[in-house]
Amino acid sequence: MADNTTSSAPMTRAERRLQKRMKRFDNPWMNPKLIWGVCLLLGIVGLGLLGRLLWNLDLVFTGSAPLKLPPVGFENLRRQEGVWDYPLGTDGSGRDLLALIVMGAPNSLWVGLLASLIGMSTGIILGFTAGFVGGRTDDVIRVLSDVMITIPPLLILVVFQAAYGDVSLAMMSLLIAGFLWQSPTRLIRAQVLSMRESGYVQMARLSGASTSHIMFREMLPNLVPYLFGSFIANVTTAIVTAVGLEVLGLGPQRIPTLGRTIYEAINAGALIQNLWWWWGIPTVLLAVMFIGLLMINLGLDEVSNPRLRRLS
Amino acid sequence: MTDKPILTLKDVSIEFPTPSGIVQAVKNLSLTVNPGIKVGFIGESGSGKTTTALSIMQMLESPGRVSTGEILLGEAQTKVLDLNEEEMRKTRLSRVSYIPQGAMNSLNPVMRVQNQMWDAVVAHEGKTDLNELQRRSDAALESVGLPARVGRLYPHELSGGMKQRVCIALGVILTPELIIADEPTSALDVVTQRHVMQTLTEVQAKIGCGLILIGHDMGLMAQSVDQLAVLKDGVLVEHGSTRQIIENPQHPYTKELISSVPLVGGESFLSPAVSAPASQKEGPDALLEFRDVSKVYGDVTALHAMSFALQGDTPQIISIVGQSGSGKSTMGSLMLGFNHPSTGQVLYEGKDVARLSPSQSLDFRKNVQAVFQDPYACFNPFYRVDHALKFPFKQFGLSKSEAHTQQAMEDACHAVGLDPDLILRRYPHQLSGGQRQRLIVARALMLSPKLLIADEPVSMVDASLRATILKNIYDLKDKHGISILYITHDLATAYHVSDYVIVLYHGRIAEAGPPKEVIGDPKHPYTQLLIDSIPWPDMNRAWGTARGDEVEHMLEGSDGPATVFRGEIEGFGLKTGAA
Repeated sequence: MADNTTSSAPMTRAERRLQKRMKRFDNPWMNPKLIWGVCLLLGIVGLGLLGRLLWNLDLVFTGSAPLKLPPVGFENLRRQEGVWDYPLGTDGSGRDLLALIVMGAPNSLWVGLLASLIGMSTGIILGFTAGFVGGRTDDVIRVLSDVMITIPPLLILVVFQAAYGDVSLAMMSLLIAGFLWQSPTRLIRAQVLSMRESGYVQMARLSGASTSHIMFREMLPNLVPYLFGSFIANVTTAIVTAVGLEVLGLGPQRIPTLGRTIYEAINAGALIQNLWWWWGIPTVLLAVMFIGLLMINLGLDEVSNPRLRRLS
Repeated sequence: MTDKPILTLKDVSIEFPTPSGIVQAVKNLSLTVNPGIKVGFIGESGSGKTTTALSIMQMLESPGRVSTGEILLGEAQTKVLDLNEEEMRKTRLSRVSYIPQGAMNSLNPVMRVQNQMWDAVVAHEGKTDLNELQRRSDAALESVGLPARVGRLYPHELSGGMKQRVCIALGVILTPELIIADEPTSALDVVTQRHVMQTLTEVQAKIGCGLILIGHDMGLMAQSVDQLAVLKDGVLVEHGSTRQIIENPQHPYTKELISSVPLVGGESFLSPAVSAPASQKEGPDALLEFRDVSKVYGDVTALHAMSFALQGDTPQIISIVGQSGSGKSTMGSLMLGFNHPSTGQVLYEGKDVARLSPSQSLDFRKNVQAVFQDPYACFNPFYRVDHALKFPFKQFGLSKSEAHTQQAMEDACHAVGLDPDLILRRYPHQLSGGQRQRLIVARALMLSPKLLIADEPVSMVDASLRATILKNIYDLKDKHGISILYITHDLATAYHVSDYVIVLYHGRIAEAGPPKEVIGDPKHPYTQLLIDSIPWPDMNRAWGTARGDEVEHMLEGSDGPATVFRGEIEGFGLKTGAA
C-alpha cells in the first residue's frame, strides 16, 4: 500500500474506501455483517443466561405481580407509573414481562436451532444417499422431497398441533423439521452428483477409498459453506413457523415463548387497551433475532463466495 | 492504405492493487502493430499477454488499471485511454474486435447465431433494415467459410470449430481495424485448429486489418503470424519478425519456448536409461487384457470391439492417440474399472475387473494408477496437498510409520523435481498447474503401481513445462519399471515416449504399430491428416493447406479405410473386431 500513497499525496475518498475494503478482503472472517449478526444472537442468549442468574423467574407465574403495569418511565391508561420491581411492565394476568422474555426468547431460538439441526441432518443423509446410490432410491427420495415442497407446512402443522394439544418444545421442533429437510436434500443431491465426477473424487476412488470415506471425508468438507448458509436460513424459517403457530394459540401451552406472549396479548385486547409493551417487547426481540440471522447469512455468503466481496 | 501503425502502445504499465501491495502485471511495454500485419503475443499464463490486449479495449478487470503510458488506435490515432464509456463502447467491435478463448461459452445459447450478429450491427449503427442485416450476417458467415443457413441455427447445433468460426464472423462483421484473438484454438483439436487458423488469417488478409494473436504454442505462432512479441512476467523480452525469432532467438526464455515444442523426428528430449529395470509383474497372466471390448452409450458406439494384451514382462509405454470423441478416454476409464464394457471383458492379471472381490479390488487399485488431464481438479480444495499422497499410501498398507510416510513423500517429490518443504504443506490453489501435475506423478511413483494410465497428462499444462512432466512420467517406466498407457492427442510427444502407438478414429483403430512407422511414415489417411495439422516452429513448412476438409469428408463417408497394422512388438498383441 505504501507505493500507492507516495504516487499521489492526498488520497481521494474513493481510494481510501478502496483501501479499507481491501483490508477487509484480507481476512474474510472479519466480516462486519457476520460479526454484527453473531453479536445480536449472542445478545439474546446472554439475556437468557444472565436473566436466569439475576432475575426472579418465579414472576412468570400468573398473579405473581400487579396487573398491566407499564415499563419504567411510562404510564398506563389508569395513570399507574412503572416501578423498578417490574422494569418492563407486567401483563394482563399479573406476570412480569422481563421474566417472560428471559424464559421465552431463548426458547424460541432453541426451537429454531433444534428444528433446523434435525432437518439438515435428515437432508444430508437423504441427499447423499440419493446422489450416491442413484437408481430407484434416488427416484423415491426425489419424488418425496418434491411432493413435500408443494405442501404448505403451516396447514399441516396446525392440524397436527391441534390434534396433539399441548406439545413440548422438542416435539414442536420435530414437527417443524418435517418440513425443513426437502431443500437441503435437493441441494446436496445436486452437489453430490456434480462432485462425483470431479477429479479429486476419482482420485480418492483410485486410492481405494470406501464409499463412506468419499462421502464424509472428501465431499462433505467442501459442502460446509452451503450447509452453513442453508442451516441459518432454515433456523429463520423454523422460528417463523414456530412463532406463527404460537400466535395462533397452538404449540407449548405451559412454557413461556415469545409467540405465546403475543397470542395472549392479542387475546386479552392489549391492542385496544394500549398495553403496547405486552406485545411490543416480544415483537422487538423477534425482530432482533431475525435481523441477527439475516446478517449472519449475508456475512457467510460473503465469506464463502469471494466473488461477492469484490474490491469494487 | 497508409504506413501509419494501427496500434501504438507507448510505455504501457498495468497494475492491480491487491491487499499485499500493487502487482505490476505489465511493465513499460512499447509496441506497434501495422495494418495487415499479424502479431503474436506469446508467453506463459500470467505473463500479461491477455491483460495487455484487454487494456486496448478498456476491458481490464477491476481494480486493474493502466498506470502509465498511452495507447493509440487506428489511423485516427485515437487515445484509447482518454475515451469515455460511451465512446469506448462504440469503438469496441467496430474498430477493435475481440475473439475470445472459449467460443463455446461466448455465444448466447438461447439466440440464433444471426440474431447475435444483428445485435452487434444495431448496437453500433442504430436501427437497420432487416434485409440489410440478413445480407450482412450472411456475408460475414460466408467470409469465414460457413454457409448462410448456419445463421439460423442455435449455438448448441454447431461443433466447436464452427462456433469459433462464428465468433470470428462476429468479430469481422463491422470490418474493424484491429482483431484481437485470445487463444482462439486452445480448446480445439489439431485438425480443427488448423482449419480455424486458416479461416482467421484469410479473413484478416481480406479486410487488411491488424491482428493480435495471443497464445502459448510456439509451433502455432510460427505457422501463422508475421511478428512475435515474447512476454515474460509482464516484460516484453523479445520482439521481431517471426522468422528472425524462430531462427535466431536471443533471449534464453525464447529459446526455451522454442525447444519445448516436441517435433516428430527431431531430437528426443528424453535420455533413456542404460539398463531398464525389470518389471514388478508376477505370474504368467497378461498385466492388462482387453477381450473383445466395446462400449456403447445409447445409440453411439464409443469404442468398437477390440482385443489386446499387454504382457508387462518388460515395462513399455503404449500410446493411444486420437482427437476428442475418438474413444481414447473411454478406453482409459474402462481400464480403470470406472466404467464397464458393453461387450467383452477387461482383465487384470487374468481377473475380470468388473468382478473383483474387495481384497482383489484393493490390490487392483494399488497396482493400476492414473494421472488425469486436469491437475486443477485432482486435489480436494479442502485439504493440503499432502493428503492426496498420504491417504492412498496408508490405504494400501504401504506405510510402516508416520515418519516412513513422510520420508516416502519427500523422496517422491525429489524424484519429480519438487522441493517437499515448499510444496507439501500447501493448499492446492497455492500451486501452479505444473506443480500439481508433478505431484500427481509423484503420487503414482510413491505407490509404485504396475500399470499407470496417463490420460492427457500435459494438455492443460503450460508448454514450457510439458517436456519436464513427460520426462517425469517417462522416468516412471525407465527407472521404476512401471508400464504406462499414454492417452493423448499429441502425436509429437507420443512419437518420443512410446514403444507402440494406436491411432483411434471414431472408436476404431486407424493405424497401429511402432512409432517410427506409424508417426514417422503414416499410411492411413487419418494419421496423415493428424500429422499434417500439427503446427511446428519451422518457418519453411507449409501448414495452411486446405486438404483437411477432403480427407475428413472421405473418412466420414463409410466406416473409413481398414485398420493399417504396421508391425508388432514383443509383449503387446492387438486385434480388432470380434474374435
